[in-house]
Amino acid sequence: MADGGAGLTARRWPAGGAARVPNWVYTDPDVFAREQERIFQGPNWLYVCLEAEIPRPGDFTRSRLGTREVVAVRGSDGQVHVLVNSCAHRSMQFCSANRGSVKEFTCPYHQWTYDLEGKLIGVPFRRGLRGNGGMPADFRIEEHGLTPLAVAARHGVVFASFAQPNETLEAYLGPLMLSYFDRVFDGRELKVLGYQRQRLPSNWKLMFENIKDPYHASLLHVFLVTFGLFRMDQQSAVEMDETGRHGVLVNRRGEQKANEATAQMRAFRQDLTLADPRLIDPVREFPGDATVVMQTLWPNLIVQQQSNGLAMRQIVPLDAESFDLVWTHFGYADEPPAMTERRIRQANLFGPGGFVSADDGEAMILSQAGIAGNSDGECLVEMGGRDVANTPHTVTETAIRGFYQHYRAVMGL
Amino acid sequence: MIAAAPAVAAPPELRARLADLYAAYDDALAEGDYERWPEFFTAACLYKIIPRESHELGHPIGLMHAESRGMLADRVAAIRKTTLYAPRIVRRLVSGIVLQAIEPHGMRLSASFATFQTLLNEPSQVFLCGRLYDRIVDDGGIFRFAERICVTDSTLVPTSLIFPI
Repeated sequence: MADGGAGLTARRWPAGGAARVPNWVYTDPDVFAREQERIFQGPNWLYVCLEAEIPRPGDFTRSRLGTREVVAVRGSDGQVHVLVNSCAHRSMQFCSANRGSVKEFTCPYHQWTYDLEGKLIGVPFRRGLRGNGGMPADFRIEEHGLTPLAVAARHGVVFASFAQPNETLEAYLGPLMLSYFDRVFDGRELKVLGYQRQRLPSNWKLMFENIKDPYHASLLHVFLVTFGLFRMDQQSAVEMDETGRHGVLVNRRGEQKANEATAQMRAFRQDLTLADPRLIDPVREFPGDATVVMQTLWPNLIVQQQSNGLAMRQIVPLDAESFDLVWTHFGYADEPPAMTERRIRQANLFGPGGFVSADDGEAMILSQAGIAGNSDGECLVEMGGRDVANTPHTVTETAIRGFYQHYRAVMGL
Repeated sequence: MIAAAPAVAAPPELRARLADLYAAYDDALAEGDYERWPEFFTAACLYKIIPRESHELGHPIGLMHAESRGMLADRVAAIRKTTLYAPRIVRRLVSGIVLQAIEPHGMRLSASFATFQTLLNEPSQVFLCGRLYDRIVDDGGIFRFAERICVTDSTLVPTSLIFPI
């Protein structure tokens, strides 16, 4: 197998299991190559897009699943098809618009034409010209369609896989993660409110770890801590599926009030007030106590529900030391305008320029810089113990350990 | 001096006042004097940085959004007191300012901008570039931005967006 095998045979995971992460997993191109093959092209359901982006037959949008690019298109049958963006003829990227609506796809190079399901329907000069040239007599047009992916959609969210997973999307998520997923995606029609893209010189796994790490959230993020949007002294939990690959951080909003916990948080500012409080003016909109559920779905999606800020954060690895983070902010098609306005204002917390997320982006860049300069070193992941278990608190790094427990099994490391 | 579109009657003193506003705004940001920045806007205003992709799709969420001088001040407070970011200089250049129209609710102007980011010990690099779409009003004798929409050509932000444009 050409999955970076040769370079990895000498690698040894440090003693300490998932409570230690060797720095080479963030820098080694052979690790990256194996991740692409086993994780991103493996039997996993990868996030592609929202159905709201392609509501009508012929509507399409591009997406990147790992280093491969795909086109998601709604077929004439109303179903979503996900096709590799590469012509069956000379492998040219046949779709260069980010989105649009078509009756069929035509590769601009030699005008090979495909229907919305990816079937090849036209090859110019297939039978030659005046008896000259043309495709060989045994060329079979039905054998040269676009490469389709397995597709699964739930409540408006589209996932796909290069290798048919042996489980449904629902089984892949597991009952606990599915219940959190359905909390936001309850079947209501969604609407996209904005896109953001951000390129970070950092390994893609650091993004996942960031949203599996509630420890930093109470220390780094002044906005979350001060305004009680996410803080470890508030009722909270870390939960995972049975494999540890998916996870959620759950929190309940608290007050801007000092206590024994905030005394340990330099980020807590009793005196910080907003000049315009409309900036952070959340209202409860989901059933239950939780006001924040940050869900990480293996291997490329973070579902953000922080107060009224809803977003898909798609992780697109570029190479061992960089990735793109693609944000799709959304709301519900039938929500009142006042709720949309809230989401727009609260979006100031998120994205490349977010009061909270900019901290994370910068932290990941600095993490990668520290790791790259210390590639023989290892990261310590022992907050809350060394095991992998759901916890009714967030003073823990257990979800990072869960991630690496699964990662090691998949990667054979 | 500020140019005017062909049909727009813009006497020299008006152009000079507009030029002074643009120059003062540029000067405040060039010097990193962000505390002065909200004062260039009316109390109720619209300031947005939004990728062209989202702008053309009519999406309301971009990269920064403020509806008041207070929200701009909150952005400054975040830069000064709360946000973690690696040291950097962001240089911005504005050119081709054109007064497009004088309307009852203000003057419409547009311009192009480019920003360059210099991280510590790294070479300067192009950061974001695009167009400014402004609406300027006479706010009790002072020209202020009632609207500044910064439309970035690229959707992709290299690293993080810390400072306003």
